[in-house]
Amino acid sequence: MTATETAVVTAPPTPEPVREPTQLRRFSGSPRLRYAAIVLAGYVIALVLFGFIAWLKDAEPFSMFRTMIDTTLLNSSSLQQTVLRAVPIALAALAVTIPARAGLVNVGGEGQLIIGAVVATGVGVAIGDDVPGIVSWTAMCLGGALGGAIWAGLSALMRTVLGANEAVTTLLLNFIATDVMLYLLYEPWKDPDGSGQPQSRPLPKDAILPKLFGSDINLGVFIALAAVGLVWFLLTKTTWGFALRVVGGNSEAARRSGMNVNRLLLSSMFVGGAIAGLGGALNFAGVDAQLHPSATLTYGYVAFLASFLGRHKPLQVFGAAVLFSAIALSGNGLQINDNLDGAIVDILLALIVAVPLVLVKFRRRA
Amino acid sequence: MNGIEQSLVGGVEGGTAILLPALGELIGQRAGVINLGSEGAMLSGALGSYAVASSTGNLVYGVLAGFVGGAIVGLLHSWLTIRRGGDQVASGLLLWFLALGVTSVFGADYKDSIVDPLKEYAIPGLSSIPWVGPILFDHNLLVYLGYVLVGVIWFVFYRTRIGLTLRATGERPEVVSATGGRPQLVQITAVTLGAALGGLGGAQLSIGFVGNWTNNMTNGYGFVAVAVVLFAAWRPVYVLAGSYLFGVVLATAPVLQAHQVAVNQYLLDALPYLATLLVLALFARRGKSETPEALVRSLNRST
Repeated sequence: MTATETAVVTAPPTPEPVREPTQLRRFSGSPRLRYAAIVLAGYVIALVLFGFIAWLKDAEPFSMFRTMIDTTLLNSSSLQQTVLRAVPIALAALAVTIPARAGLVNVGGEGQLIIGAVVATGVGVAIGDDVPGIVSWTAMCLGGALGGAIWAGLSALMRTVLGANEAVTTLLLNFIATDVMLYLLYEPWKDPDGSGQPQSRPLPKDAILPKLFGSDINLGVFIALAAVGLVWFLLTKTTWGFALRVVGGNSEAARRSGMNVNRLLLSSMFVGGAIAGLGGALNFAGVDAQLHPSATLTYGYVAFLASFLGRHKPLQVFGAAVLFSAIALSGNGLQINDNLDGAIVDILLALIVAVPLVLVKFRRRA
Repeated sequence: MNGIEQSLVGGVEGGTAILLPALGELIGQRAGVINLGSEGAMLSGALGSYAVASSTGNLVYGVLAGFVGGAIVGLLHSWLTIRRGGDQVASGLLLWFLALGVTSVFGADYKDSIVDPLKEYAIPGLSSIPWVGPILFDHNLLVYLGYVLVGVIWFVFYRTRIGLTLRATGERPEVVSATGGRPQLVQITAVTLGAALGGLGGAQLSIGFVGNWTNNMTNGYGFVAVAVVLFAAWRPVYVLAGSYLFGVVLATAPVLQAHQVAVNQYLLDALPYLATLLVLALFARRGKSETPEALVRSLNRST
């Protein structure tokens, strides 16, 4: 990527934000309209395919879609569940988005979520009884963010110092994070009162993030929203965010124009990891309140696909994360109401992400 | 059979379920395509082989179905990444979710059925070598297939024109194209064949030595296979060594626990990944010549 593009750089390097140039060239709306129609058709086909698969399993497709909407959006308690579940997915997705701006591939959202939750567990269980809630909330959030940042930072360091590809190192670190968590839960951190279950001690009541407005929505949701806003601001309104895009567009040009490319790469992974770590901590401190082996349920990988679907633009990524949260949650309803295996929603998730993948070429043309 | 032999035999059985997908992943990556859907290919192959074996009662059909089940995932990955130009990491992950969903939904029918696992054949002569014999030469045919494939793949890679074209595609597809080759065809073949081997790895789990089907039964083996390829720095013989090493590590903890040795399985489980990270750290720069360049380029292409 670097060596082959040196020729381009001999022109005076005035870094410009990378926009799809074709969109500027063709001012008339028609190709974009056609593209929109193709995309829409793609999603309709995805839904039809999904309905067909459910029909093969003797479910009634329309009642199935009805269940999915009812159990995720249409009454306030299910909507609250969707929002709560969106917290870790959205934050882990932004952990993919930020480095992606600089051209880095972070497949490690899962591990960064886990480490965030693990650190928050350690901190919260240790101090939760002795300090006021606000102190332990802050400590858990900061600890989780720091843990996630270090976990992602390891991969970034391996990339910048040793030249190891970050896509594979972040992936490997996911499995190490899982093993670290399981090790802790099966031995040193095992709850002595947990009747042998591999789970941590429960978080003391005062340390649990408070629920607000008499609903299930807790303080963590608002911290998460603030984090989303912060990431949006950092990526679109600051020099740092601009510099990341320059590096992502052409790292050689960025280097020649005097940017410290390595520092930008490191900082993007560090900030991304911190956001994911925060997501793990918030999910633990607000919802689970007790660490157990299935703490993340592959949210980290779902998050990667959410960032991909949102084309690494913070607000679109956030929207995709909420959508995936609803889809993941709807598995429960399908299991109860329509006698389907809950994992069927993974099929829908895959089909939805397949649409932009299949249409990459159309997008480039439009 | 003592504990050490037990964990080595288990390591060869389980290691084969890593070796076959890892060899498949190796073929694909040598052609410049990473397939994180390896896990999906394994799931697909595991259920495909189990379903066919339990309904026909014929294990050979079962193994073939495992091959086909994996190949389908490979064809999808080829279509999405090579034909449509989609992102390889995203495609791999989505195929994993797709396979996880499809096999969980349609595998429910097979949870209660029973299949006698593949027969073990002791190789006359070799299997009576003390100690080594029972560990290496008293297994089912998929294990032996793994041994043979390592040699075949090494030979094809380094001693045939097909292998040269494959490796050239993984380095510089445009050069292959300029010399009259068809890099896309090479990649599609490599990815599909590779995923088919992943399906055989799944078959090794479901009908090879376990003899049942459970949801998500591959439980990360496909990702281990990807790790093994990196650990082996894209060399077939090291893939063999890495797979069995990982297999033995994964098989050791349960054996130790059965012998009342207190050991935390998860610390052991992390070792292969740590070792892979270490290899990547040590050889990332020095090993560059063996890293398929097209693979690096497609991974670095921002998603």
